[in-house]
Amino acid sequence: MVGALAVLAVVLILWQILPGALNVPRYVIPPLSEVLVALTDPVAFPRYVQNAAATMTEVGLGLLIGVVLGLALAITLTQLPRVYGIVFPYIVAIESIPKVAIAPLFVIWFGFGLPSKVVVVVLLAFFPVLVNTIHGLRNVDRDLINLFRVNGASRMQIQVRLMIPAAMPQIFSGLELAVANAMIGAIVAEFVGAQQGLGVLILQAQGRMETPAVFALLIILSALGIFLNLFVRLARKWIITWERT
Amino acid sequence: MSALVELSGLEKTYATRTGDVHALSAVDLDISKGEFVAIVGPSGCGKTTLLKILAGLEDHTAGTASIGGHPIRTGNGDVGMVFQKATLLPWQDIAANVLLPLSLRRRPTSQDREKAAALLRMTDLEGFARKRPHELSGGMQQRAAICRALVHKPSLLLMDEPFGALDAMTRDSLNVEVNRIWRETGTTAVLITHSISEAVFLAERIFVMSARPGRIVDEITVPFDRERSLDLLGDPEFAALTSRIRTHFEVTHA
Ligand SMILES: Nc1ncnc2c1ncn2[C@@H]1O[C@H](COP(=O)(O)OP(=O)(O)O)[C@@H](O)[C@H]1O
Ligand SMILES: [Mg+2]
Repeated sequence: MVGALAVLAVVLILWQILPGALNVPRYVIPPLSEVLVALTDPVAFPRYVQNAAATMTEVGLGLLIGVVLGLALAITLTQLPRVYGIVFPYIVAIESIPKVAIAPLFVIWFGFGLPSKVVVVVLLAFFPVLVNTIHGLRNVDRDLINLFRVNGASRMQIQVRLMIPAAMPQIFSGLELAVANAMIGAIVAEFVGAQQGLGVLILQAQGRMETPAVFALLIILSALGIFLNLFVRLARKWIITWERT
Repeated sequence: MSALVELSGLEKTYATRTGDVHALSAVDLDISKGEFVAIVGPSGCGKTTLLKILAGLEDHTAGTASIGGHPIRTGNGDVGMVFQKATLLPWQDIAANVLLPLSLRRRPTSQDREKAAALLRMTDLEGFARKRPHELSGGMQQRAAICRALVHKPSLLLMDEPFGALDAMTRDSLNVEVNRIWRETGTTAVLITHSISEAVFLAERIFVMSARPGRIVDEITVPFDRERSLDLLGDPEFAALTSRIRTHFEVTHA
């Protein structure tokens, strides 16, 4: 931790000193101080907060829907081996498509407002949860399932008391990927066409060649991403108390 | 003596994509109430299949299989199972794991909890009721798994190579323990093992199976007392029995 903070401090110091020392133009890489000024600008800051809230609404809604759908479909599919055999190749195929590329189409279909962004986020959050949860559910120890069956467990009991808890580590791996994907999805969807959001602000700042503002927005975006990731990892630690080796 | 388990003319064929696998052939076998039976045989001969049929986890293809005079049914709650791995739920403590067979049926009563505590006491795990499985050694986990298999007082205890993953010393001490548990609970036990000496040490009767399709090729009555100690391992009669069983495998592998 101390080492990591030291590295951060060195990077920040170099960021402040190097652009001036190497005569890098301000519009290419501004020194840290100018970025901080842009970040804390009393006029701009409320706009940052407002638009960050818009982006996080897209991310939050999309994650919620995508995760619920991913979990539900994974649980359903693993209980229907026949259907699973037919559907799984398609899941693998779709998973390997760069799905953000579909974002422009969603803007055509669902407009410039919130829905098109949420749909992109759902699509990006859904697959990692689906694939990882399936993986977790299918790898539950056969003997444990047999143990439950021998003791007269119902299908519901097997799911709730065995399969889902046993798949928790993989479910959380899926969630971590989903969270990272969700941020990407929201920003790309905003780039493609939106009225608000951090992606819109980045494009606007870029259009005016306000590079310090672009960096300020990237910092906000990174902070939000790190916060979300941390949240998932804490939840994992809190829920999966048995994972320690 | 009343037969608790009756298998006659039992056949099992698995239909697989690459063709049929004939796992069991004409298995006739009776087990009396309270008896300790061991089944030995080469790997892949159908021992686990036989146990799964007894547990109601697998259907048989032909013949009859009954426990207590009734055809075997899955989940009737009358068997306890121990596997090669302890298969404890890592997210529950040892007490909750032991109570699982009961808690799947109803909310455990204080009597149930007392029963679980008594089993943990019997297996020297008293102090570990609140611990999670990963805090226990492999041998302790397997003892907890045995407690779980007995908590609902099943009429039949099925063990599938329960100590195969443990080191030799742990294995010996667990064998002594299983002998004591069997005597104290009066349960009927079926042990599958590919350790011949383990079978002779624990069982009253041993069935030897042939390579696939598994048939019963020999039945040996073990003449020792119900109570067994590790001294038995040095007994000449013990050695005679193990070598008699071993000849079967030398013949089949020749
Ligand atoms: N579910 C199954 N489907 C197809 N074949 C199986 C299945 N279970 C076991 N077998 C086959 O049946 C034979 C006996 O297996 P098993 O009962 O596990 O043997 P053992 O426990 O004696 O090693 C093996 O050839 C195994 O590959
Ligand atoms: Mg086996």
